[in-house]
Amino acid sequence: MAELGRAALVVSLGLSLYALVAGAAAAWLGRRRLAHSARNALVAAFFSTLVASGVLVSALLRNDFSFTYVARTTSEDLPTAYTISAFWGGQEGSLLLWLLVLTGFGSAAVLLNRRWARDLIVWVVPVFATVAVFFSFLVVAVASPFATQTSPVDGAGMTPSLQNPYMLAHPVFLYLGYVGLTVPFAFALGALLSGRTDERWLVATRRWTLVAWAALGIGQLLGAKWAYEEVGWGGYFAWDPVENAALMPWLVATAFLHSVMIQEKRGMLRVWNVLLVILAFSLSLFGTFLTRSGVVNSIHSFTQSSIGPWFLAFIGLVVTVSLAVVFRRLPQLRSPTKLESPISREAAFLYNNLLLLALSLAILWGVVYPMVSEALRGEAVVLGRSYYDFFLRIFGLPLLLLMGIGPLVAWRRASLKNLLTTFRWPTGVALATGAVLLLLGAGSSLPGLVAYTFAAFVLATIVLEFVRGTRARKALGASSWPGAFSSLIARNRRRYGGYVVHAAIVLLAVGIAGSSAFDSVAEAKLSRGESMQIGDYRLEYQALDERVASNATQIRATLAVTRGDRDLGTLEAGKNAYTIEQQVSNEVGIRSDMLTGEDLFVIAEQIDADGSVYFRVFVKPLVNLIWLAGLVFLLGSLIALWPNAREQRRLVQRTREVGVPATR
Amino acid sequence: MARKANPARLVIALIVAAVLAVFLLYTSIAGGGTPSIAPSELAGRSGDVQLAGLVVGPVRGDSHAGGLRFKLRDIGGETTTSVPVRYAGSVPDLFKVGRQIVVDGRLRNGIFVAEPGSMITKCPSKYVAKQSGDPY
Repeated sequence: MAELGRAALVVSLGLSLYALVAGAAAAWLGRRRLAHSARNALVAAFFSTLVASGVLVSALLRNDFSFTYVARTTSEDLPTAYTISAFWGGQEGSLLLWLLVLTGFGSAAVLLNRRWARDLIVWVVPVFATVAVFFSFLVVAVASPFATQTSPVDGAGMTPSLQNPYMLAHPVFLYLGYVGLTVPFAFALGALLSGRTDERWLVATRRWTLVAWAALGIGQLLGAKWAYEEVGWGGYFAWDPVENAALMPWLVATAFLHSVMIQEKRGMLRVWNVLLVILAFSLSLFGTFLTRSGVVNSIHSFTQSSIGPWFLAFIGLVVTVSLAVVFRRLPQLRSPTKLESPISREAAFLYNNLLLLALSLAILWGVVYPMVSEALRGEAVVLGRSYYDFFLRIFGLPLLLLMGIGPLVAWRRASLKNLLTTFRWPTGVALATGAVLLLLGAGSSLPGLVAYTFAAFVLATIVLEFVRGTRARKALGASSWPGAFSSLIARNRRRYGGYVVHAAIVLLAVGIAGSSAFDSVAEAKLSRGESMQIGDYRLEYQALDERVASNATQIRATLAVTRGDRDLGTLEAGKNAYTIEQQVSNEVGIRSDMLTGEDLFVIAEQIDADGSVYFRVFVKPLVNLIWLAGLVFLLGSLIALWPNAREQRRLVQRTREVGVPATR
Repeated sequence: MARKANPARLVIALIVAAVLAVFLLYTSIAGGGTPSIAPSELAGRSGDVQLAGLVVGPVRGDSHAGGLRFKLRDIGGETTTSVPVRYAGSVPDLFKVGRQIVVDGRLRNGIFVAEPGSMITKCPSKYVAKQSGDPY
């Protein structure tokens, strides 16, 4: 079986190489049939990778420990769902998944756009093929998932904390996001190489970018939720290099999604957009590199491995070649229009772009700083939480405010007088909210108060937009208010889907501000029968139980929780001691108040032999808004993604009118 | 354009300003960075550092009463020098003898006094469990 997997991957490598060489030759010489054949090779590479993936999945399901990979990542009694998730659990498997998704996305994107963008596609195929050659080379020669050994009795199993439903989905979403960013990159580069620098590559990849971006966002929230419930230190994000690795491409992709609109509407920012796409793709490669190379000190450090230098070389190649191509096409990328005023929709989007880019570059600097300082001063200096928090506030808060301003400012040129009228209501709402919160004592954290005030402002503008639009629809003859509302969204999915996503970001900001700026913590060592107080919660430590489960001994402390006069029932917190893995893990107790979004979060830090327990308790206001934001984010992304034949036709029509240059 | 205002230039100015701002702000808080060093490099240092090392037993004391006491030595290094460490606060699940940990703190009278709650443990390589010949 392993031979089949290995052979299939060699075939994938061969087909990708062929797609690269033949595709490039066909594009250069203008050979149509050769271009077809290169395209088909890319599609065939997907199927041979699929065969290889099938072999690995079946080996996992059969617990075939003669596969080194299977023996290392699973064990006999691992539940089936986690056994399958071991596919992307280890390095070799996740590289295979990269290749599978890459060839799949590439084939689909190329086939879907083959008719109306043929002159682009001939150049897009070799770009996809280059990336596919790199990854198939890695799984064939450097990190093969099909290495074999004499079969041991049982596999090594999976780290207990990873046996969690969120961990099933979190890596997959991240990979869909990382790989998805290859599509806009390949099309952008294809457009540049072919010299057809019109807006078609944007139209062809808009949805792909949205899917990749949404997957990356959802993936990160799933990871945060996992960290919150399973790792159990009382937080959900720690600015760890590996977390940053996913955040950076997401921020750059967010910037791109916005600046694309300016290019579509006004033909501006062409160079900028191409650069953003190249940056986003390079960062997604860099993210994979960071997680897999162990080059930075991270609590996540995976196995140190030999793929690091290969990745660095490939990132270098991607950046150099792309920039060279951009440079060569600079004259064609000159935009026909100019920014007319610093107070306009275009300008607002540009500020948004600058802030997003500044934030991700600040994060990048923080990630590489230990390496830079090691090289320059011979001593690795680590930038801590305060560094990142600082930049999140400096760049994040203005971004939040801009999210309310941008969509309501007129294109081209807006007057200050206009702005005052437009933002009369939202400003009023924001100031009132700020004043009320100040009276309620939110002044304890200035950034928190500012975040809340800005959030109120943005929410007010979003509500205003929906109200205004629905009214207009009703006036235009919609029969009912709900009818007017739904036709409003249906007719302009991108815009209103975007507003829903904005609302999700507001929820996220409020959740983060609430749980980080206004949280409280208490610690106490309690014997049975003693109690502690945090805020208006009272926790009484009642009992300590020990249970023996199949794979672990579970120790649980039971606490009775009351708030004021209300009895809120009991909460359990404790530890699991895993027998085979010889690991202890905290099992935290969380009580969520669905009405206020507040969590009571209990960690049993230390359990002594005499039955006394050292508890660490957090009250985290509004933290549940973060998870709610995830759902709203998904809804907004789906609305924006939903196929809209009319809009697609219009865009295609417009690019037809622009005309396609006749010569190469 | 009659007014000679060139928005393209404005945009470039904005970008430059933004980049400058990043670096100015960064240098203004540059004190926030802490050097990350190995136990063998600790001798004679007085400032705050981040110490990354391998836990050497015995581990004594109570992290919530008086502090936990153990020693740290270099990761993978040949040196056998180890530094005594005193630590109070949360102890991560994965902490035990032979694990790699990182703590913040400073050297006081020959003992590395860690900041409370600053300890993080490195996963002993996430998905790969014990291999034969592994000393721990």
